[in-house]
Amino acid sequence: MNPYWGKDFFEFFAVLFRRLTGQLPLDQLTTDEVQMVVLMGVALSTVLLGTFLTLKKMTMMANSLSHTTLLGIVIAYLIFFAPENDLMIGPGMLLVGAVVSAALTTLLTELARDLLKLQEDAAIGLVFTTLFALGIILVTVFTRNSHLGVEVITGNVDALHFEDIKLVWSAAALNLILIGLFFRQWVLTAFDEKLSFSLGLPTKTFHYLLMFLTALTLIAAFRAVGVILVLSFLVGPTLIARQWTHRLSSLLFLGIGLGLFTAVIGVALSRHFLSVYHLPLSTGGLVVTLISILCILSLTFRHSQGLMRD
Amino acid sequence: MTPLLDFFSDPILRPSTLGCMLMCFASALVGVVVFLRKRSLIGETLSHASFPGVVIGVFVSALLMPFSDELISLAILCGAFLFAFLGLKTLSFLENKARVKADSALCFVLASFFGLGILIASRLQQTYPLWYKQALSFLYGQAATMTNMHILLYGCFSLVILGFILYFYRYLEAVNFDPSFSETLGIQSKRLDEIMFFLIVLAIVIGIRSVGVVLMAGMLIGPAVTARPLTNRLSYHFALAGAFGVASGFLGNYLSVVIPNEDYSLPTGPMILMVSSLFCFLSLLLAPRSGLITRFLRMRQFSFRCSLENALKSLWKGERKVFSPLILWKLKQHKWIDPQGTLTPLGKATAENIIRLHRLWEVYLVDYMGQKVEKVHRTAEELEHLLSPELEKELTELLHNPRHDPHHQPIPPANLEAP
Repeated sequence: MNPYWGKDFFEFFAVLFRRLTGQLPLDQLTTDEVQMVVLMGVALSTVLLGTFLTLKKMTMMANSLSHTTLLGIVIAYLIFFAPENDLMIGPGMLLVGAVVSAALTTLLTELARDLLKLQEDAAIGLVFTTLFALGIILVTVFTRNSHLGVEVITGNVDALHFEDIKLVWSAAALNLILIGLFFRQWVLTAFDEKLSFSLGLPTKTFHYLLMFLTALTLIAAFRAVGVILVLSFLVGPTLIARQWTHRLSSLLFLGIGLGLFTAVIGVALSRHFLSVYHLPLSTGGLVVTLISILCILSLTFRHSQGLMRD
Repeated sequence: MTPLLDFFSDPILRPSTLGCMLMCFASALVGVVVFLRKRSLIGETLSHASFPGVVIGVFVSALLMPFSDELISLAILCGAFLFAFLGLKTLSFLENKARVKADSALCFVLASFFGLGILIASRLQQTYPLWYKQALSFLYGQAATMTNMHILLYGCFSLVILGFILYFYRYLEAVNFDPSFSETLGIQSKRLDEIMFFLIVLAIVIGIRSVGVVLMAGMLIGPAVTARPLTNRLSYHFALAGAFGVASGFLGNYLSVVIPNEDYSLPTGPMILMVSSLFCFLSLLLAPRSGLITRFLRMRQFSFRCSLENALKSLWKGERKVFSPLILWKLKQHKWIDPQGTLTPLGKATAENIIRLHRLWEVYLVDYMGQKVEKVHRTAEELEHLLSPELEKELTELLHNPRHDPHHQPIPPANLEAP
């Protein structure tokens, strides 16, 4: 029995508080809590990566990846002979899918740009749309299920498992470790690629690593929340935080804080709409909208203060 | 197997076939403008931004007039147009007023609007599952359900786009190829961008029906990229892109009807895009001037000519060398050597000409460029294959027809018979 059943926005937090302080059994996580934990993991990973992607002006490459991960997942399925019509993803498939999609996207985009002499914007656009089309066709042919393509975009929160928590948080842990260990190097490559190259840093490796980590996070999260939410998490919180601070460390903390905040509020709101208005809304869609609203508010506020940079 | 002509005569197949062709034609034309302005990714953002409009269009029209298919499509068109336009405004606000970097702004608008669309669609899911399905069919495009009315509607829109491009053709030409000239004429590139954005929104609104929201960007880029290596003229670029667009629209739709069996169905949008990308790939590889394979072949051809001429030179100098059968065969083909392997008069003249170019260049390097005598041989060895008859004439005049090169070797006299 889900203790959140029929609760509105404020009661939701009351129940959550009681469960957290141990007055209610914590032995079994409910779907709302699984959702919340998964979304928080996604928020942590994506804001971390998103800050660096934004600094490196590579967010449209993340958009490419959000499309091509579908092909990576399909290929991982074919390699592991996973059962059809089931979207369970193990750690092995996660890694293979992430490597395949990151490698295909970055290498093909670079090939199209350097070898086929295509201008950059066209190269990006051409590669990811083609790979995505290929992914969709493969999915429909192999699984005989044309609905999967839709689920990739929207996510399917009903199908959340306890496994998803492990998956999302191991991706988050990997992101944290890799970015934490080489934090200074990441910062240097993000701010001044030429300088870091001349100092002997493997800037190319960091570039590919960033793409790989982004693909990894996208795949870990796609089943639960869909790729669009991840994209919104990648740019939204950083964009808001950027208006309030110029320091990288506060940018990161503010961004991650915003991400976690919207994740929790989003789940509570989704429950609220279901309980009070009997509207089953997509949690992913709610969180994205929440981030957009926050962004609009922040922009208007900063605008009215006249603090926008000239 | 359905006969090809049935796609144009069969009352069920014809609307979707013609519809796909029209839409791809329109997006291909607009794509050329976008491609030349290097803003290809804006199509990706705006097509996603139009999605909430589609959902709201389905919702509103289905609530008000549930049985009128025509009005639903019209409402979808209006909704998509409105939201794509709204997305555009948000984008320019973020970029110009809020000073957000272009890529972040693109990505943010894309995710926000699309997320909003998904939120609204999820509202439909339980209460109106049929409309939910109809709204989602715009994600990957659905050509099969089109009627003659759609053809009329989309045909009109395509004509509008064509008219715009024809009317503003001079504009486009001037701004894209000579920005400073166009500025003196008082044409501002900003004005052109406004026209371009309007055209993109229009192309997206009509294109999402067949290709879908997610892949629309590809249809804007593909045909323009395919046509680019094949021509240097703007008018041909438009014409070729349009032709490739029409072809991929037809073939994609054709394949998505012919290939599937009862086990699975193929979505139209991805098939159209795959065909268009295939064209793109082939064109980038095989284009006569700049294709990858053509460039590679040209390089091989040149290096082969170099080794051929080097072989001829060593024959002329009387060096005893072993040549590959291919080189020998080619030498005989040119009638530079006879079947016994000795130089013909023609071969001798050609060889002397190459030697002459080599030694003339050496003289030039020493006399005019102040190079050391022992260093000039290597450069001349490469340039002898490149110097044209015109350059030879110029060199001869400039150096007063010298008799000896810096190494005191004789320079063969100019031979008018040599090729």
